[in-house]
Amino acid sequence: MTQTNSPILTIQNLVIKFTLRGRVLMAIRNISLDLYKGESLAIVGESGSGKSVLMKSIMGLLDKNGHIDQGQILYNNQDLAQFRTEREWLSIRGKEVAMVTQDPMTSLNPLKTIGKQIEECVHLHQSLKGKAAYEETLKLLKDVGIYDVEKRYKQYPHEFSGGMRQRIVIAIALACKPKILICDEPTTALDVTIQAQILQLLKNLQQKYGLTTVYITHDLGVVAKVADRIAVMYAGDIVEVGKTHEIFFNGKHPYTWALISSLPQLGSKGQQLYSIKGTPPNLFQEIKGDAFAPRNQYALKIDFVERPPFFQVSDTHYARTWLLDPLAPKVEPPEALQEFFAEGRRYAHES
Amino acid sequence: MSHKDVLVEVKNLKVVFGKGKNKFIAIDDVSFDIFKGETFGLVGESGSGKTTIGRAIMRINEVREGQILYHGKKLNGKISKEWDREITQKIQMIFQDPMASLNERAKVDYIISEGLINTKNIKNEADRQQKVRNALLNVGLLPEFSSRFPHEFSGGQRQRIGIARALVMEPEFIIADEPISALDVSIRAQVLNLLANLQQQNDLTYLFIAHDLSVVRFITDRTAVIYKGKIVELAETEKLFTNPIHPYTRALLSAVPEPNPYKERDKVVEIYDPSQHRYDIQPPSFFEIEEGHFVLANEEELERYRTSLKMEVSK
Repeated sequence: MTQTNSPILTIQNLVIKFTLRGRVLMAIRNISLDLYKGESLAIVGESGSGKSVLMKSIMGLLDKNGHIDQGQILYNNQDLAQFRTEREWLSIRGKEVAMVTQDPMTSLNPLKTIGKQIEECVHLHQSLKGKAAYEETLKLLKDVGIYDVEKRYKQYPHEFSGGMRQRIVIAIALACKPKILICDEPTTALDVTIQAQILQLLKNLQQKYGLTTVYITHDLGVVAKVADRIAVMYAGDIVEVGKTHEIFFNGKHPYTWALISSLPQLGSKGQQLYSIKGTPPNLFQEIKGDAFAPRNQYALKIDFVERPPFFQVSDTHYARTWLLDPLAPKVEPPEALQEFFAEGRRYAHES
Repeated sequence: MSHKDVLVEVKNLKVVFGKGKNKFIAIDDVSFDIFKGETFGLVGESGSGKTTIGRAIMRINEVREGQILYHGKKLNGKISKEWDREITQKIQMIFQDPMASLNERAKVDYIISEGLINTKNIKNEADRQQKVRNALLNVGLLPEFSSRFPHEFSGGQRQRIGIARALVMEPEFIIADEPISALDVSIRAQVLNLLANLQQQNDLTYLFIAHDLSVVRFITDRTAVIYKGKIVELAETEKLFTNPIHPYTRALLSAVPEPNPYKERDKVVEIYDPSQHRYDIQPPSFFEIEEGHFVLANEEELERYRTSLKMEVSK
C-alpha cells in the first residue's frame, strides 16, 4: 500500500502489433503505466483485451508474429522494448520478472520430479550446487506451504492435486529470486476453497520476499482480495486506473461501470442481470475515439471521433472518458451501481 | 415451495466406478427432489460428484443402487422403448465448454437438427427448417447463421448454439453443467439472462451444476451442496447463503471472494476439517432441521446445529 514508492517499471506509449495472415492487428494501443515497488497491481479485462499480451511483452515472451511497434518499457535504466536477442532477455526473465501461469496441469514437466524442477531454477538463478541447492529447494517447498518436503521432493507432478501443483509453480517462480511476480489468472483452474488458500499464500509471500506483484484476471472477487491498485483494460487500452476502492466504489469509466454491474452479486433474483450489449471491437480495424463508445449508452458525440485523454479524478485515480470533461453533461452511473457505491462509502467510513 | 409438483425424484442414488480393488464410490446414497419450474442448483468442488449426478439423470452413468424417477416413473435400468424415446426428448443437457461440445465439421443447421432427426420428430424438410430457425431466434442468433460452422462464432455465441440445440427438442427439463464457467464476465450475464428468459417462456425446469457460488445464488431457487459424493446440505438458496449450517457449506461460502475490497481485507476464511465428525461412533443421516432445510449430521451434531440455528434466527 505504499504509494510514495518510486516506480520499479515504467511503460510509456507502448504499441504492440501482431501480423496475422498478412493483416495487422493492434493488440496494445498506446499504453502508459507505472508499476510501483512493493505494490500489488491487478489488470482487469475481458479475454482479448490485451492484458496477457501486455505482461508477456515485459518478459519478452510475445509470439513470433508480434512485435513492439512503439514505446518504451523502462526497468533498471534499461529499455526492454529495445531488446532483440534472447541473451538480453535472459537477464530479465526469471531473474527480475517471473510468472505464474493459469494452468498448473500444463506448466510442469510430467517427466521430472518436482524437486528437480525447482532445483533447476535454484541452480540457474542462485548459482547454488549440490547440498546447498537441495536445502534451498526444501526451504522453498516449505515456504509455499508443502508438508513432508523430503518425500514430496521425489514425487512427480501427477502425484499432486491442482492446488498443490500451483504451489510448486509458485515455488519455481520464487526460486529465481524475482523482483516482480506476474500471476496470470493464477486461480481460474482451481476450486474456490483452494483459490482462497493460494491467494492468501501469494499475499504472504509478497510480504516475505518483498515482491511487486501483478495479477491478470477477470474475476473481480479475486481482485478485491489481492490488489492495491487496478488497471481496467478494454480493447488494448487502459481505460481507468486507480486504487482498488476507487475503481470499485468510485469508478468513472462506463466500461468499469458495466463490468461491475454485470456481476451476479449485484443482480436481484428474478430480474434481468445487467449485460453489456454487442461485442468488443475488431482490432484489425483502426479504432477511432473511445473503443467502448459503440456499446456505451452514455457515449457522447466526441467519443466516436477523438480518443479521450486521461482525466485526473484523484492523485492516484485516472480515467479515460470524455464524461469527465468539464464541458460534458453530468451523467449518473446506473442505479444498481449507485447502491453498490453507497455501500462502499459506508465501509470506507467504518474503516 | 413444498406444494409444487415433483418433476424429478432421486432416491438413494449410488454410482460406482470400477470394480473390486479399483472400486470408487462416486455418489453415495444421495436423495433429493426437483420441483417443476424451479432451478435447482448443485454445487461442490471438482471431484465431488456433481457432474456424475447430472450424468446419471441423463442415463450416461450407470446407477448402481437406488432410483431416479421422472414424473413418478422410473428412468434408470430397464425401461420401455416409448418411455425411453419420450425422456430422450424431454431431458436435455447444456455443456460447459462450447468449444468442445459442438461438432467442428458440421454446420449449425445440422448441429441443431441432429436431435430432431434422431428422434424422427419432424414432419418434413420445411418443418425442420422452421424449427431450426425458431430455435436460433429464441437464443438471440440470426437464422442466417445456420449455414456457418462453429469456429466462426465467439464463445458466447457458441454457447447459444448449444442452448438452441437443447431447446429445439422442446424439453421440459434441462441439465446445465457449468454452462457459463468458460465465458467472459460480460458474456456470462447475457447467457444467464437468456437462460432465465427461456425458463419463463417455455416453462422449463433446470438442474444447474456449478462451482461459482455467486452465480448459483443469483439463478437458483434451491441449492444442494455436495461433498465427496454426499449431499451435506440442501435448502432454499437464500436460506443456505444466509444461514449455512454444515461446516463444509460454511467453509465453501467463506471462500468465495466478494467484489468488495473492504470486506475482503478483514475476512477470515473458514477451513473445513472432515475429521471433526465422529461418524465412526455414530453414522450420519439426512435430517430436515427446519422446513425445507436439510443437513447431513448425526444426533449429537444435529443438537449443536439446532442451537446455533436458533441463535442465528433470534439475532
